[in-house]
Amino acid sequence: MSRAPAIAATGLVKVYPGGVVANDGVSLRVEPGSIHAVVGENGAGKTTLMNLLYGMEQPTAGEIRIHGEPVAFRSPHDAIARGVGMVHQHFMLFPSLTVAENIVLGREPHRFGRLDRREAAARVADLAERHRLPIDPLARVGDLPVGLQQRVEILKTLYRGAEIIILDEPTAVLTPQESDELLAVMRHLADQGKTILFISHKLAEVLAVSDRITVLRGGRVVGERERAETDMDELATLMVGRLPAPPATFRREPGAPALRVERLWVRGPRGEPAVQGVTFTVRRGEIVGIAGVAGNGQSELIGALTGLVPAAEGRILLDGQDITRLSVRERRAAGMAHIPEDRYRWGSAREASVADTAAMGPHYRPPLSRRGLIDRSAWLRRAAAIVAEYRVRTPGLWARAGALSGGNLQKLVVGRELAGDAHCLIVAEPSRGVDLAAAAFIHDQLLARRERGDAILLVSADLGELMALSDRILVMYEGRIVGEVARDQADERQIGLWMAGADLPAGDPPGDPASAQQGGDAGA
Amino acid sequence: MPDRLTEGLIDLLRPLLAVLLGLAVGAVAIWATGHPVGEAYAALWNGAFGNRTFLGSTLARSSTIALAGLGVAVAFRAGALNLGGEGQLALGGLAAALFTIYVPLPGPLPLVAGLLAGAAGGALWALLPAWLEVRFRVQLLISSLLLNYVAVYSASYLVSVPFRDLSGGGALAQTRLIPEAARIALLPGTRMHAGILITLALSLVLWFVMMRTVTGYEWRMTGLNPDFARYGGVDRVRALVTAMLVSGAVAGLGGAIEVMAVYHRYIDGNLTRPGFAWSGLMAALLADNHPLGVLLAAFLLGVIQVGSTGMERTTQIPLEISSVVQAVIVLFVSVRIGADLLRRFRGRRAARG
Repeated sequence: MSRAPAIAATGLVKVYPGGVVANDGVSLRVEPGSIHAVVGENGAGKTTLMNLLYGMEQPTAGEIRIHGEPVAFRSPHDAIARGVGMVHQHFMLFPSLTVAENIVLGREPHRFGRLDRREAAARVADLAERHRLPIDPLARVGDLPVGLQQRVEILKTLYRGAEIIILDEPTAVLTPQESDELLAVMRHLADQGKTILFISHKLAEVLAVSDRITVLRGGRVVGERERAETDMDELATLMVGRLPAPPATFRREPGAPALRVERLWVRGPRGEPAVQGVTFTVRRGEIVGIAGVAGNGQSELIGALTGLVPAAEGRILLDGQDITRLSVRERRAAGMAHIPEDRYRWGSAREASVADTAAMGPHYRPPLSRRGLIDRSAWLRRAAAIVAEYRVRTPGLWARAGALSGGNLQKLVVGRELAGDAHCLIVAEPSRGVDLAAAAFIHDQLLARRERGDAILLVSADLGELMALSDRILVMYEGRIVGEVARDQADERQIGLWMAGADLPAGDPPGDPASAQQGGDAGA
Repeated sequence: MPDRLTEGLIDLLRPLLAVLLGLAVGAVAIWATGHPVGEAYAALWNGAFGNRTFLGSTLARSSTIALAGLGVAVAFRAGALNLGGEGQLALGGLAAALFTIYVPLPGPLPLVAGLLAGAAGGALWALLPAWLEVRFRVQLLISSLLLNYVAVYSASYLVSVPFRDLSGGGALAQTRLIPEAARIALLPGTRMHAGILITLALSLVLWFVMMRTVTGYEWRMTGLNPDFARYGGVDRVRALVTAMLVSGAVAGLGGAIEVMAVYHRYIDGNLTRPGFAWSGLMAALLADNHPLGVLLAAFLLGVIQVGSTGMERTTQIPLEISSVVQAVIVLFVSVRIGADLLRRFRGRRAARG
């Protein structure tokens, strides 16, 4: 192509205070109107690279050219002014404002010194139509499903005049159907001449939509391929430096029931019935997966099982003992461990040290402490053991947990929860935002626990993860279990439909008949 | 690899910078009111350290500020925004006075009993906002602040009417003198008293509790991220209540020592007028709630406060200048805290993905 590349980065180096080299001479060339994917492990430097291109951080060395012109972004403001927009993995929207208000925020049309709502809505509707991204400009963002919220983010960048759109793991939070739609949108935007640069872990979608793929490892570019000239094996090998293990084989048959949930009702944050009469059993040596789009009662279910949220009705039994009213600590003492869905909100404290993070849970009893006094050497030994076994990359045991990359913090949290001898594991989104190698490692650990005879409940928005690990998959939709399927009969399309609330079984819902009946009665 | 030592040094330098900036702004204020700056600060120095008496006053004042500050630090570390130090201090002092006056005990026991009564008075008063928060979700920040008025005016009433000392004509709202056995010894010719030793010991003990005990760990984690603590099985109510009890007890002890060492009776207003509780809050802020740092910060504030009374005595510069200096110091420290929050917020956004 004779035109200047949309993005041409040469020799980008980013060294963080303390000496961590996140980008080590990265060069990237993105043709205008193309879809370019950046893949790589966590800690490979993808996010840093995006932050440099979007002006959130400044390179230590190297040059960035946008449409041929050298730039030195001091903030995202500068980037936006040059037509670079970014859609973050965690949306930056105001839930209480409307779609139109969110989009025009910062560049509002004014009338008599006040926000002109009608003009804003009209502009947004026009924008949406031009780019074939249908949306209701007057809907409250908080009421929209995740897929549409993401659309609002994309429209926001377009409203600000973005010619280059950076997407950070855009499909991580979407259903398979929503993901397909997004990929189509990306393709359409590229056809209109926009340049798309996106980060992803999911090689299938990368191969489905990208024109060109850059692989990062350890802060360097280790490969750059045209879509046509590569395949999944090659990309995976480039990313991790070796081939990922084949899917798990199960040797052991599930045993006696360990966790039993009976007609469980749980209220959500606004008092609404978020879990509605759910019944299921997890046996020892079994992984039961719970599929569902985020926000269909999974969080409340996990909260009730682990003791963070009170159950409104129903019973939870662990090894036959009723634990419905037990405290978090008592449940942990009874053999429960919990890998939380959000490692930042539940799994750690940003300003706490790695050692303090690793101690949480059994911190109050031997060997970590005696008679209320902390045993510092045991404290450090535990943290060091987890860091070593799970290969957590950390500047040290006294480093802030917040200084760890997402994947490394997740490994620390998983390591902490699996360090004890818990035999009932409540596991939520174990590999969210984690690179392939770390995810594979975490999966291996879970499978090993299954083989050991632990009962594992696995809640995940990632269908691939559920299909690879679970003996059975239950699908949650609007607080109920609307489908159940055994591992060997799992059909991604069917599960996707259940997740979307379509194709609900007409007669007896699968799972426990009692739950359906209870649900029907109390819901009426 | 971030160097812990360097980081620690920077942490120390920042408040120091705030102090220097505070003094600089104070210099401008002094200059603006038409006074020679050098002379003023020399008078301040002299007022704080000039002789044994001045030094004694400085240390005594710093000690009480430190206790108030330690109370704040404990609560803040646990995420309990206890602004009730003034009430806890006053009721601690009153409890110590009344207990030692009305419960006669043999030997050296009144001394111990007075201190314990003071700690208990402060602790129980601190329990009230904790209970309101747990039971009715009344924000502790607000309830503890407002309860100061209840405590201070109740104490005022108690020493004005039922427990008023009528022996000398009863002109002042104050209790009778506490018995000799309940008085904390002063260094002869100064106001420096043995209570300072308690303060020093207590700051070490509190540092140990925070960093080396299960309770302290649970406080810190609750303060850093209450959801994380709850997830790990920490009883939030227990952490809140114990932190408030200790916080109130430490402040109450401050009031008790002030009563038992300096005035030997509870005199209405003597624990509130000097603003011990608020200086303590400043000290805790300056020290980022580190128990040992609170000692240093309290000493600094003691120097400025006592020094500026000396400055007022020997020059024409009004006492308020010292308030300006203190306020500016705290302002600069708060700027730093604000910047930290901003950095953290940005860091969070950058760390995603």
